[in-house]
Amino acid sequence: MSKVGLSRLRKYNIVLVLLALMGLFALTSPYFLTVRNLTNIIIQNTYFIIVAVGLSFVMIAGGIDLSVGYQMSLVGVVTAMLIVVYRVPVWLAVASGLLLGTLLGFMNGLLVTRIRVFPLIVTLATSIIFQGVSYLISQARTFRTYPPEFLILTKGKLLGVPLDAILALVIVILANFVYSETVFGLRLVALGGNEEAARLSGINTKGMKIAVYTLCGFLVAIGTMVMIAKADTMNASFGPGTEFIALTAAIVGGVSFTGGEGNIPALVAGVFILAVIGNGMQLAGWGTYAQYIVRGCILLGAVAFDEYQKNARRRSRGPGDSRQTDAAVSAAGVQQR
Amino acid sequence: MDADCIVQMKGISKRFGAIQALRGVDLDLRRGEIMGIVGDNGAGKSTLMKILSGAYVADEGEIWLDGRRVHIRTPLDASQLGIAMIYQDLALFNNLDVANNIFVGRERTRGPFGLLLDKKSMYQRAEELIRDLRVDIKSPRLSVALMSGGQRQMVACARAMAFQCKILIMDEPTAALGVREASKLLSLIRNLRDMGLSILLITQRIPDVLTITDRIFVLKGGQRQGVLETRAVTLDDVVTMIVRGKDHSGDSPADLDYKSFG
Repeated sequence: MSKVGLSRLRKYNIVLVLLALMGLFALTSPYFLTVRNLTNIIIQNTYFIIVAVGLSFVMIAGGIDLSVGYQMSLVGVVTAMLIVVYRVPVWLAVASGLLLGTLLGFMNGLLVTRIRVFPLIVTLATSIIFQGVSYLISQARTFRTYPPEFLILTKGKLLGVPLDAILALVIVILANFVYSETVFGLRLVALGGNEEAARLSGINTKGMKIAVYTLCGFLVAIGTMVMIAKADTMNASFGPGTEFIALTAAIVGGVSFTGGEGNIPALVAGVFILAVIGNGMQLAGWGTYAQYIVRGCILLGAVAFDEYQKNARRRSRGPGDSRQTDAAVSAAGVQQR
Repeated sequence: MDADCIVQMKGISKRFGAIQALRGVDLDLRRGEIMGIVGDNGAGKSTLMKILSGAYVADEGEIWLDGRRVHIRTPLDASQLGIAMIYQDLALFNNLDVANNIFVGRERTRGPFGLLLDKKSMYQRAEELIRDLRVDIKSPRLSVALMSGGQRQMVACARAMAFQCKILIMDEPTAALGVREASKLLSLIRNLRDMGLSILLITQRIPDVLTITDRIFVLKGGQRQGVLETRAVTLDDVVTMIVRGKDHSGDSPADLDYKSFG
């Protein structure tokens, strides 16, 4: 039953890990556990949460999308230019950006289902393509000064809570509902668990895959709007790197790298664990470069743990199966007529 | 034509690249019988059954159901016609519990456009199925990942029952089971027949075929060799037909052809 214990640990005690880390950093810096600092951590991470939710849907279904970073770059540059250069009304620019993100996701989905190679490679390739397009369009220029109608996304508050935080919360609640209560959610988990069995169960596996990549693209585009509004500036180099944080957060939060498992609240905890580590290290004077090393190690550790857990499950079935079978019969076979 | 046939497959052929897996195979399944499908490795047993279950589409041939021509192109088509197949590798989801394994793909739904899962109804029905099949699985909430081969077969059977299938295809259901678990499964298969199902049973275990089936369908090299009445044959008769085909001389030129299928 150690497997059950481990999975519980990963699914529900992730919040304890977060609290333990916060305790640790509270000891190392007097500034860490202040309202101001904690609020900062939350509002700096709203767009990571939105993107991580999008990516986690792809991952639960057994896929991966490495291109989310450059999707943000491309969607961001196009939206920013529409607003700043072409003076298009904000609502239209935002709508165009969301549509573009959705299309990019749809394109990823089509490619992944048409070219039957690892989605890792397919989205790595599209990532490079998006990068090229983003720099070509923007000529690596930076776009500043946005109208207040756009900045309200992060500057505006409802009952004292920033609008982007509310947006992220709504997305998390909706995603969790879709994941645990809908037919789509169950089929997503089934697809990630066993694609061939899903096909044989009559699930439209190609359609589902295209749907999750498209949904991911849409959420990434929403995250991009928040990112631009927060920075009040946009450049083609903004966005890349997000895929790494979202991926690590998802795995730390119990989304299996090989699909079939996920937990949206734990995913949010995963984002905050990375954020708290980054913030704590910053306060401790470690700088950005050391954080890269730590983040890489966290990803390695999380993937290793995920794999360890899978192997533990395999060991408990596998070669010893026939021996187990007879023992299991007495405990749980069919009743004789 | 036998009016009591529930399934008729006529002239089924299927080719995979250079390999002719099936050539003009005819099969009739009677209502409420258990028919064994036997043959050596590579004889085409699974291919023939996967064509009936919609996993493959035949290159040539027709399928008739209750005297009506049907077109089965996907597993969903087959399940809507009341045909269910339990695959050798079981096609279960280790990451889902028993009830979700039973219903996934054809979930019970509620709410607008049937978007939401009707979990209560699914767990309730799963519990009934477990009881009706007299399967000793303690709860529909258990994960199938840690279940024995026999229990996994039961879950697969329950899934077939949940969709009120009329025709059940089982691919080597006893292959991975111990002796005791296998005999329990065979009695479950008889149970299912008594509940009115017509069953096609692919197996390599000839003794199983002799104890449980009504008729035995023999394939060799992708061709039908014949159908034996189980009551009237011995183990030797069946093995002879599997190995040497309908033509007992065994040295016909056609036989040489089959050897390439191993």
